[in-house]
Amino acid sequence: MFVSILLKEWLKLRWFFFASLVLNFAVCIKIFFDIRQRMHTEHAEMVWYQAIHIHAVLYQDIRFLPLLAGLVLAVAQFVPEMLGRRFRLSLHLPMGRDGMLSLCLLGGVSLYLLIAMVDLASIYWMLSYYFPVEVAGSSLSTMAPWLFAGLIAYFGGVTVLLETSWPRRAFLLLIFAVLLSILFQGVGYGWFTPSLGWLAALLPLAMLCVFESGRRFQQGGTR
Amino acid sequence: MNAIEVENLCQHYNGRTIYDDLNLTVAEGTICGLLGKNGQGKTTLVNILMGFLKPSGGRCLVLGEDSHDLSPAVRKRIGLLHEGHLAYEFMTIAQTEKFYRGCYPAWEREIFFDLVDKMGLSHSHKVGNMSCGQRSQVVLGVIMAQNPDLLILDDYSMGLDAGYRRLFLDVLHGFAALGGKTIFVTSHIIQDLEQLVDTMIFIDKGEIMQIGLEDFMGSFHKYCFTNGQGILNLEKDEVITGWEQRGELISLYSFATEDDVIRHLDSLGIHPKEIERVEMSLEDGFIGLMGKY
Repeated sequence: MFVSILLKEWLKLRWFFFASLVLNFAVCIKIFFDIRQRMHTEHAEMVWYQAIHIHAVLYQDIRFLPLLAGLVLAVAQFVPEMLGRRFRLSLHLPMGRDGMLSLCLLGGVSLYLLIAMVDLASIYWMLSYYFPVEVAGSSLSTMAPWLFAGLIAYFGGVTVLLETSWPRRAFLLLIFAVLLSILFQGVGYGWFTPSLGWLAALLPLAMLCVFESGRRFQQGGTR
Repeated sequence: MNAIEVENLCQHYNGRTIYDDLNLTVAEGTICGLLGKNGQGKTTLVNILMGFLKPSGGRCLVLGEDSHDLSPAVRKRIGLLHEGHLAYEFMTIAQTEKFYRGCYPAWEREIFFDLVDKMGLSHSHKVGNMSCGQRSQVVLGVIMAQNPDLLILDDYSMGLDAGYRRLFLDVLHGFAALGGKTIFVTSHIIQDLEQLVDTMIFIDKGEIMQIGLEDFMGSFHKYCFTNGQGILNLEKDEVITGWEQRGELISLYSFATEDDVIRHLDSLGIHPKEIERVEMSLEDGFIGLMGKY
């Protein structure tokens, strides 16, 4: 059963996953070439000054890509289930609803984390190529809110898609949009670092929303 | 033992009452057809039975468990066909088989491929690229290979041509012949059900009538006559259950005997000519009981 559910999720997600992976990797390569070009055309001291003193984030281009990846994965995974309310097929499987939904989420989150790892590893490697390890290390905390945003966008997308009532959908959309906008408010390195712990607490809450929407879907949107 | 028990079921939707105090049972080992005009809540009832809709009141038991809280063990014993032959359209035939094989330990691979291979399609054929009939075969294969104890089929005949419908009936007859299997079916093609069911539930405006097929066909009658008075304007009453007129020919439906019908028509000032009880199909009976609109 475990393998079957993951197979189903993989069949829905694979092409969207590869497309997201390629897009993220391509943008990472672009960032690398941009930094290299700046190193060649400007003085290295100037680039250092911008990066260290002005806190210019040289990998801004990747800022919204995790968010996009999260949304794409949610849509790719759950739109086929919502068309004709096909999710009823999954709900009829001989497995508990929340267990089945957890496996679906495991499939989506695993692929998202692979994309996030590629982003993190690529940015870390290219920064450590040109800058001291402290600068490369700071990219992890700087990118953390963006990567969290991708996860929350994924959970939010799934929650909204599973919800059967349009007013509730609009409300949930608003809540998740506000939550996501907070994660993109700051500028500079590690601006969200003091709050990362609280941010991590948001993730299980966002995930719980998925289970509530799943329960409501199964009961036909009643109560 | 009943496979399905519905007690005092109430269902409201957008302020409209679909059912109020609905009661019915489907005994294990029977084939029960749910008949009703469009919009009478057949699919709603199937959705409630399968736990996809929580009823406003009352209780539904399916294989002994509350329908809105079916355990995985009970769901494993239920083969469910959704209206429109829902299937995972992003899967191929082979992927569909692999997926369900992992979900049902007692999965019978040969049954699935016996049914699906009748179409002569490659196993790499995507379900989303199939015709409605072809998709119905895949869905039927999925359900049969589970070897369930209870089949719930919601309008299995929708979109199917005569060949695929006949194939469905053949398979369902074979399934019923295994013994101890229960089938609960809704369909718009009433003549198909006549060949299949042994019990029928008529549902109309939230009211139901549950009756055996033989009892119904033996006790409900169709009388044809002409009266030479042009268009009649009959009302339903305790004798006249339904009627229809085509030109001069009037068909009247009733549980009453021919003599009682003649006497009743006389009392209404109608003097039928050449009245006779004619052979009635289940579809005639359905129209006579439920009306056309």
